[in-house]
Amino acid sequence: MSGAARPRLCCEWLHACSGCEMALLNSGELFLGLLEQVDIVHFPLLMDHKYQCPGGSETKREKFELPRAEIGLVSGGVASKDQVEVLRTMRERCQILVACGTCAGHGGIPALRNQWTAKQTWRTVFPEDERPCSGEFEPKDWLDRVCGLDELVAVDVFLPGCPPRPETIVEVVAALAAGQQPQLAEKSVCEHCPTVRTGTGLTSVRRFLGNADFDPQEPDAPMRCLLEQGFLCMGPVTAGGCGGREMPLCIDARVPCHGCYGPVRRQGNPLLDLLNILVSRGIDHRAIVDKCSLLKFSGAHGQLRPNG
Amino acid sequence: MSQKSKPIIIAFCCNWCSYAAADLAGISRLQYPGSIRIIRVMCSGMVHPELVLQTLNKGADGVLVVGCHLGECHYLKGSEMALARAEIISDTLEDLGIAVERFQLVWVSSSEPERLVAAFRAMSERLGIGRAADNGVTEAGQ
Repeated sequence: MSGAARPRLCCEWLHACSGCEMALLNSGELFLGLLEQVDIVHFPLLMDHKYQCPGGSETKREKFELPRAEIGLVSGGVASKDQVEVLRTMRERCQILVACGTCAGHGGIPALRNQWTAKQTWRTVFPEDERPCSGEFEPKDWLDRVCGLDELVAVDVFLPGCPPRPETIVEVVAALAAGQQPQLAEKSVCEHCPTVRTGTGLTSVRRFLGNADFDPQEPDAPMRCLLEQGFLCMGPVTAGGCGGREMPLCIDARVPCHGCYGPVRRQGNPLLDLLNILVSRGIDHRAIVDKCSLLKFSGAHGQLRPNG
Repeated sequence: MSQKSKPIIIAFCCNWCSYAAADLAGISRLQYPGSIRIIRVMCSGMVHPELVLQTLNKGADGVLVVGCHLGECHYLKGSEMALARAEIISDTLEDLGIAVERFQLVWVSSSEPERLVAAFRAMSERLGIGRAADNGVTEAGQ
């Protein structure tokens, strides 16, 4: 526990499921190596580090503190005023702020609620004829929508994924600890995908209700592109890197890409981009059921908005 | 003057038909609302849906994509591409929380400046900014 020279790592979670933290722990031996490169000063999942919740009265608010660190890792989007407070404090205390996971960068699954107003969401979850479950948690503490981190503070590194690949998280933290710029995949899932594309045969898209066509006896034999097989695959518009240098994880499991790494181009709209790709190949976009679900990982930044 | 006093409608006009029509509108001294801003593109089919969305998100009140009539495209298939793209834009804008009437696709050939001006006026009136724009009427082409 000496290592005053070692860079400090401060982790915090906001509107998230703790999957990103689990992914970091899931890196196995790499994590042990990381422990020798950085000092973890704050990590709610791992350490029983007591700190004051930012909510409540003004005097309480002043007490809210987080340790200073060189590297800050924040997972999850921002959905409440408390989380805004935590995020601002993290930004203040950390030299480099990493948005860890798709929720932090693009809103992720929780940002699906941006399709409705905060009040509608509240009323759906806690219908009016039932008693409120807690007096402390009120929709007045909610933001009107779920935001990505960069909508509120400056973010230095975006590390997408739901969750990010464990090895990639370790690589990024290690690179930052060594004072280097982390190298992240910038191309789409298709660029990493080994399936065979012929450029023909794309006539319609349907939901993934049946199996993809491949030879189970020969797992290494190339499979036909899932989009060309007629399945709605979000590979063309999704950031790659989920499988490292190997093939994308879902494709490896013979399942179409669901877009969990968020749009390949920051601020891109996967829904419009994918539909654009389909219509340019002559596909009727009305074949797609529940179009908004194509934004299920990137509803922040005003991509999903309450209707009407 | 308040900040939001000047409504803006962006019109992406294709180089071969609609921009020529806009030119002709200028020469013919046809009047259209001052809220229109024309951006010349080589083909209406090259206007990416994302560009339309970005334009609306960055504060434009309306977007018009103006291209050659179907079958008259200089690049043969451009208008069809524009039509396909316009369909997904119209179908998606509502899902994205943007009023559908803020976007329109119009076909105008180079000899139809009246049709272009009518489309400009219609868009302006549809967005309820016809009156405000009347003060800023500019003469086409100036």
